[in-house]
Amino acid sequence: MEQPGREKTIKEKKIDDKHWEDWERRGGWTPEGWKIVEMKDGPSLNELKPDTFLVVHRPHGSVFHHSYGKVSKFFIGLLEGKLYGTKCPKCGLVYCPPRAHCFNPPCRLQETTWVELPKKGEVHAHTVMTIAWPSMAHLQPLVGAMVRIDGTNTCLPMTMRDIDPEKVNIGLKVNIVISKQPKGDLLDVYATPAEEPKAPKRTEAELKRFREDMDKTREWVKKTFGTKTNK
Amino acid sequence: MCEKTLKNKKVAIVAGDISRFDNPRHTLQEEMCAEAVKGILDDVPELELGDFIRKGYACCYSYFSDILEQQQCMHWIINDYLGLSGVPSYRVESGGATPIDAIINAALWIRSGMFPVVLVVGWEKMDELPIQKVNEAIAIAGDTDWDFVSGFTYNAFYATMEARRMHVYGDTEEDLAEVSALCHNNALDNPYAQWPAQHGFSKITVDDIYKSRLISWPYRLLECAMTSEGASALLLANEEMTKKLTDNPVWLTGVGFGSDTMRAGDRPDNPAWKGLYPEDERIWPGQVPKPLSPYPDLQNFGSLRVAARMAYKDAGIHNPRKEISFVEIFDPYAGVVIAALEDFDFCKRGEGMKLVRDGVIQPHGELPCQLSGALTAQGHAVGSTSIAQVVDSYWQLSNQIGKKWGAPGRQLSHPKSAFIHGHGGTGCQAGAVVLEV
Repeated sequence: MEQPGREKTIKEKKIDDKHWEDWERRGGWTPEGWKIVEMKDGPSLNELKPDTFLVVHRPHGSVFHHSYGKVSKFFIGLLEGKLYGTKCPKCGLVYCPPRAHCFNPPCRLQETTWVELPKKGEVHAHTVMTIAWPSMAHLQPLVGAMVRIDGTNTCLPMTMRDIDPEKVNIGLKVNIVISKQPKGDLLDVYATPAEEPKAPKRTEAELKRFREDMDKTREWVKKTFGTKTNK
Repeated sequence: MCEKTLKNKKVAIVAGDISRFDNPRHTLQEEMCAEAVKGILDDVPELELGDFIRKGYACCYSYFSDILEQQQCMHWIINDYLGLSGVPSYRVESGGATPIDAIINAALWIRSGMFPVVLVVGWEKMDELPIQKVNEAIAIAGDTDWDFVSGFTYNAFYATMEARRMHVYGDTEEDLAEVSALCHNNALDNPYAQWPAQHGFSKITVDDIYKSRLISWPYRLLECAMTSEGASALLLANEEMTKKLTDNPVWLTGVGFGSDTMRAGDRPDNPAWKGLYPEDERIWPGQVPKPLSPYPDLQNFGSLRVAARMAYKDAGIHNPRKEISFVEIFDPYAGVVIAALEDFDFCKRGEGMKLVRDGVIQPHGELPCQLSGALTAQGHAVGSTSIAQVVDSYWQLSNQIGKKWGAPGRQLSHPKSAFIHGHGGTGCQAGAVVLEV
């Protein structure tokens, strides 16, 4: 037996401890305000009665210190601009998202080995987000694609850039791009078209609606973020 | 199986009630739960809350999110508030499958012979955080290292799945809008539903669905579940206690549950599914390349298939299309209804949309679906959702819709059986029950 010993930091992008400690303290459950509201309530719409409620505004927030475990190499790879997956030496399945243990039942949780993956893939399924996470709201309408990276047996969800949302199609060949300023999570990865996209079949009415939806979204983005953020 | 288990195999719904879905409700979780349980006590005068500890009954609690509630172990508060301290109880949690799994768990407790009576209570509060944070709290039921931080919203995952159905099987935007209109219009007479509480009592059309904003193509706002607050409760009992407590029971004759990969993207080539459902693997249009495991891929929900076939087998159902009177599908998004009809063997794979187009799932159709309005219009206070759908179905089967909804016109004429399902994640886990009179 031996002890694992203390962790030794090899490389680090430090966070501003003081800033976040302060943020955690401020997000510490103390009500910042309140309101008294009147509203009818009851167990069914046939039994409503007027009622009065106090609502407090109570912040709550923390920073998590999360390890990527035995698949850390994938994320270390992103920091170095490389794409990695894992391969089962028994059945040959290639995983990205990587698995440290093969989930093919006959392989009995065999440990996998790392392989470098090409930055190329194919769209297995897609969507166009007109509601996106706040950090990506300025990119709307934002194409999301389930991308099968060449040579893998999995699909990795990622957003797409440099593509007309109307034209994204299942089967589209894509390039996988790793952000020049990687942060250390999957958002460092996105896809761009590697060939001329072919629009999926839409009826005239569907196409008209789709274009109106895109116009409305672009208008909102322009109004909210100005013109320069949305290329 | 031991004799005791066999003897106690029959499980019935003795009573059920709902504290309505809305957003916001402002009423506390424990108060909404008390309203629902009070409804049960009113219907079953022979039942005393004190019986639970004295006579060895149990409680099973259902809520999804510690984050949305800003409370861990919320069920301890509920248990205490209902005056049930001392009673054997715990919480079941499995995302969207939470409430259906709580019911299944309770049924299996009774079948085990361990408890003669079990109370199931479910609730959720979803208005305390801003909507983006609510979406986030739901989305982190997806893999936070590999799904959540991809830039996809949760809507986007279901949207990619439906986009693939459109590509492979030819679902249309109109099919989705039809399903959504059906759910909304079904909810108009339901006094427990959120849609009429907020939007009034007029019917809507496919064009109204199209006018609602796009969320994640192909899904529009009215094709997505509502976020809700509410509670519901169900009283289950073994045969002996059922006879003592009610003369109008509905039997819970089948339970089933299944699972699939955590990440939807791992499904197309998932080696564990290859060959499991060869008849579905064969239904595949020639022009689309076949992945290693063509069923379920992203077009269908494998966990729903496993759950349904287990529940049918358990209930002795051989031809669900003929033997099931009506269905409540867990529909966080409209396309799930179409896919689920296939996964539940109500039609062949790729033909779910025909049931929509032919009116089969309309209230007066051959297989009415979503009579409550379901998640789209009754509401989706997660921990309460499937319990409320089962309560609505129990009222249908026990001929109580006139009394409970105040809408006798919505009572089906002598339905014999119902199939209700729930699932979590992108179909990561699913449960189903068969009810019969």
